[in-house]
Amino acid sequence: MTEKKIKNIFIDGPVTADFIGKSIQNHSSKTDIGGHSIFLGQVRADKIDGQDVATIEYTCYEEMANEKMHEIREAIFAKYDLTCMHVYHSLGKVATGEISLFVFTSSKHRKAAINACEELVENIKSSLPIWGKELFTNERYQWKENK
Amino acid sequence: MTVHIMLFGQLADITGVDKITIENCLDTDSMVKSLQNTYPALIQSTFVIAVDKKIISSNTLLTDQCTVALLPPFSGG
Repeated sequence: MTEKKIKNIFIDGPVTADFIGKSIQNHSSKTDIGGHSIFLGQVRADKIDGQDVATIEYTCYEEMANEKMHEIREAIFAKYDLTCMHVYHSLGKVATGEISLFVFTSSKHRKAAINACEELVENIKSSLPIWGKELFTNERYQWKENK
Repeated sequence: MTVHIMLFGQLADITGVDKITIENCLDTDSMVKSLQNTYPALIQSTFVIAVDKKIISSNTLLTDQCTVALLPPFSGG
């Protein structure tokens, strides 16, 4: 197995539509790609015990998360016939309606991209040491739990 | 022997600390007991332990200058 550099998946604040658009545009020169699959995680305005979530503030164990993501990335590349894979996760505050997770896979034919994207999202949610603190509009908060 | 401990998420929240250094701690079980004595809030907490960024599933011997992280349930995405 070749030694690939560990990438940093974290970006400060929300993932913007502009960033996502540019990421798609960057692939126009890769003409062996026939399909992209994209997952976008958006901060939901949950109502919990009568309190409204306004923002999620994300923190992580960055070194461990990036190393773990590297392992996941290698395993997914080994399992699926992918051309490209990109993962970005927000740190800090992301308001409701904004994007906090961007997973982007590309392949010659659609199935590999679609299946890899789904498996990546599940792995990211279950295996990366990232925590979301749900800040309510009334300035109280609770720690998010993944379902 | 020095062990560096990191606490994340709600664990840092309830203890009020995110980094602790302890001396002369042999293994993860005794480390957790010692932490729970100092921070009783941890007794009720759910977490997994990573030693030098690898999650462990049973009592693990600690080495000088190792880093132990207490990780509450993940909630990324």
